[in-house]
Amino acid sequence: MTKSRNGKEKQQSHDASRRKFLKGVGIAGAGAAVVDKLWVEAAAKEPQTASAKSLSGNVKLLLDVNGKKSSVEVEPRTTLLNTLRNHLEPAVTGPKLVCDAGTCGGCTVLLDGKPAYSCLVLAVDATNKKITTVEGLGTPENLNAVQTAFVEHDALMCGFCTPGFVTTISAYLKKHPNPSLAEVREACKGNFCRCGTYPRVFEAALAAAKSRKV
Amino acid sequence: MQQQQPAPKPKKKVKVTRTVNGIEQEVEIEVDADTGPGWGPNDKHTLLNHPMTRVDGPLKVSGVARYTHDMRLPGMLYGRFLRCPHGHARVQSIDTSAAEKIPGVAAVIQAPLTELRFAGAPVAAVAAKTPEIAADAVRAIVVKYEVLPHVVHARAAIAPNAPKVVQDEKEANLQSKATRGDLSKTEAAFATADVIVEEEYISARVHHACLETHGMVVDYSGGDTATVYASTQGTFTIPKDAAAALELPETAVTAIVQHMGGGFGSKFGIGVEGMLACKLSKQTKTPVKLMLTRHDEFVMAGNRSGSWQKLKGGVKNDGTLVAVQARQYRLGGIGQGSQAGQPYVYRAGESYREIFALHTNEDSSIAMRAPGHPQASFAMESLMDELAHKIKMDPVAFRKKNLADPVYHRQLDRGAKAIGWERRNPIAGGNPGPFKRGMGCAIGTWGGGGNNQCKVDVTITRDGAVTVAVGTQDLGTGTRTFTRAIVAEEFGLQINDVKEEIGNSKLGGANSSGGSTTAASLSPSVKDAAYKARMMFAEKVGPLLDAKPDEITFAGGKVNGKGKSITWKQACAALPAAGITAHGEWRSDLQATGIHGASFAEVEVDVETGLIKPIKMVHVQDGGLPLNRLTLESQINGGMIQSLGMALWEGRVMDADLGMQLNPGFGDYKLPGSLEIPEMIPIIDDDDKREQVIGIAEGCIIPALGAVVNAVFNACGIRVRELPITPDKILMGLMNNQNVA
Repeated sequence: MTKSRNGKEKQQSHDASRRKFLKGVGIAGAGAAVVDKLWVEAAAKEPQTASAKSLSGNVKLLLDVNGKKSSVEVEPRTTLLNTLRNHLEPAVTGPKLVCDAGTCGGCTVLLDGKPAYSCLVLAVDATNKKITTVEGLGTPENLNAVQTAFVEHDALMCGFCTPGFVTTISAYLKKHPNPSLAEVREACKGNFCRCGTYPRVFEAALAAAKSRKV
Repeated sequence: MQQQQPAPKPKKKVKVTRTVNGIEQEVEIEVDADTGPGWGPNDKHTLLNHPMTRVDGPLKVSGVARYTHDMRLPGMLYGRFLRCPHGHARVQSIDTSAAEKIPGVAAVIQAPLTELRFAGAPVAAVAAKTPEIAADAVRAIVVKYEVLPHVVHARAAIAPNAPKVVQDEKEANLQSKATRGDLSKTEAAFATADVIVEEEYISARVHHACLETHGMVVDYSGGDTATVYASTQGTFTIPKDAAAALELPETAVTAIVQHMGGGFGSKFGIGVEGMLACKLSKQTKTPVKLMLTRHDEFVMAGNRSGSWQKLKGGVKNDGTLVAVQARQYRLGGIGQGSQAGQPYVYRAGESYREIFALHTNEDSSIAMRAPGHPQASFAMESLMDELAHKIKMDPVAFRKKNLADPVYHRQLDRGAKAIGWERRNPIAGGNPGPFKRGMGCAIGTWGGGGNNQCKVDVTITRDGAVTVAVGTQDLGTGTRTFTRAIVAEEFGLQINDVKEEIGNSKLGGANSSGGSTTAASLSPSVKDAAYKARMMFAEKVGPLLDAKPDEITFAGGKVNGKGKSITWKQACAALPAAGITAHGEWRSDLQATGIHGASFAEVEVDVETGLIKPIKMVHVQDGGLPLNRLTLESQINGGMIQSLGMALWEGRVMDADLGMQLNPGFGDYKLPGSLEIPEMIPIIDDDDKREQVIGIAEGCIIPALGAVVNAVFNACGIRVRELPITPDKILMGLMNNQNVA
């Protein structure tokens, strides 16, 4: 709900899926107190699917990142983002740590194809999912259509938000191959850019859709 | 070390265009006699002044670009701060024993200061095996504070008996810094005015909010040398202070800045975070990464100073601005703040201003993209709009009447056309229905010239590889791209035929990227090196074509002379075994200073909820020779968006009792987001024919906020004089203003 930038905007379905990830960390680092309360209440009403087993010390996990299975040992409280960046060998640093509170989208990854803030997901909750980061979408020599469009339309300046935007839009276009400008804006509302590349992010997303290569 | 002074070089005189007092004119300057040609006409370039995609784009869109924050070294420790929770306090004692006992904690050190004058000041730093353990250690530190009185709001800070923010007990929180103009003449001029407006304008302190927080990774494991990866706007601002903190000679430290995630004026030098990172690394003989958390970043990494400006303006009914008087408070916390003097860019018959620093218990403001200018522009443009409204004059016509510089006139006309100014209803709030649209405009100025610091080497080897090397940094402004392009164009090559090496303090010196100085400092040195490399190249290759060096031309990947043509690779094979390297220095004739910008905005105000929706924004920007049209337009967009944020959403909120910031995160500090971005039209003012490079980054952030504020008034008839214009201010204004249609 922090992503509702405008009182007139209604919550969209992909927000709800992101909200579920919040359950994993309770209220830790989740922004304003009021919003926290709403989340906790919403979470309490939903059936608890996670097992009640408590974990402590270091736990050994098997993560499927960009099609490669890697074993990693972390404390159970470690977020997926910090696990990718600080523990996995070699480090996966495409997803950026920007706010660590689910407010900016810089750490967006795909879990079974759905965008998620990896700073709000515990690594222990991601073991049975296919994790895709921006590195898994394309390489400098073989960019995907969204990445290509980002370069061609200059949809980046400092580039720190770019992996998050690219990941969000790549996932969105898979489901919505022919979006309107308004739908692209809606899809990007969970991602912040400070340099001010938005107009060209929208252009790039629409151009990528038009290329029909996503 | 004493160096022998080289003999003075012979000089020659060249004519260049310069902006003096806002008027472009030809002036003669002296340059070295062996200086190469200028850039040539702006419309005759093959790469420059064209749209070029950025060369590091593919690395950035695929997550491969390695930022400071992405560095992970073997055995590296993670640093973290403990921050002071009080607005003003003295540290009485610190007990770190519990923190030190936590498994995985390698070091706990105290920050240097014991008197802390703002909430968020670093008190201690820890280094641990993981960031999670470091956070545990911070929580385990026990500090006893003597809590002192604080004041965080400007009005309270100038009240009688307010707590002292300044260190010297004899000094006041309000300190006069500068005065200009003649008060009695200004007062006399007001007597000749037909209409006078006297109001107060306030702008909030806003945050750089760089997505990559401040910080460093110190690669030191004992021994004689260290490498420091820094998120900085100044590669060369790092080694000296890092070396001091590591107790190493300056030459032993190398600073690396390959990619950096936003600075906007906030990242120069190692900062307290870098200093503590070095000390943690020194103590543990282990690499340490200390990047601020987002909360740290908000409360201790600097901000744009707020402003509180009491302005009085007088006009005649014909639109002549006869007098302006200003009392300007810079709200820079414990720092000085910044604010351009009034009446800013306007020509007033008489003017008088007094500028003050007004201190509060908040962290010091620091430079932020066009320091002091958006604040001054917002207040002056608001005043101008109020005056125009009172005398029922069109705001564009009123501005032109009080601007001497013809560049502003053409830019205002161009911007008015682009936004569709003829659609503007001259009656404020005059459009029917609850969703009311309105338009506004504003202008701004900046310098953007360069300085003599960049030392560039261009190397061409026998295999045809071309490398341009200089220690500068690319903040996301496209430095890498234009650096390559200048060299490629000189040799008739494609941009990807050239590689650049930057962001390393062991390469040729370069200035810090502040004040829009990078392009105008770096590009002349690159051009100089490229030209000299071309002359050397032509001399070596000439015999292959039976041509003299000055008969050799380069185009389309071919080297031509005397009617013959060979490929680039064939030509390079004739180079000496070591290839050739040419060294370039800055040339003042290849750059200039003095830019203009005009912004227009259209907004829609919902008078039932107070919500403001930006509809369209236009910014016209001059800047001499545009090095890269694509990245330049991106920067203009970015300037407009950051300015829009200041106008409508962004502002630090402080709690008077706790002395703390209430919105130190993106959940509560509202940045412009994808849903609010209007249609944006960045316009490069190609009527600027100066064949010289000028930086534009600051210029394009200045006027847009004034344009937005004025558009809000035109839309709904409510003049909000305190930024940001949140919906409550609109609703309050509507409630108090029954005259609105």
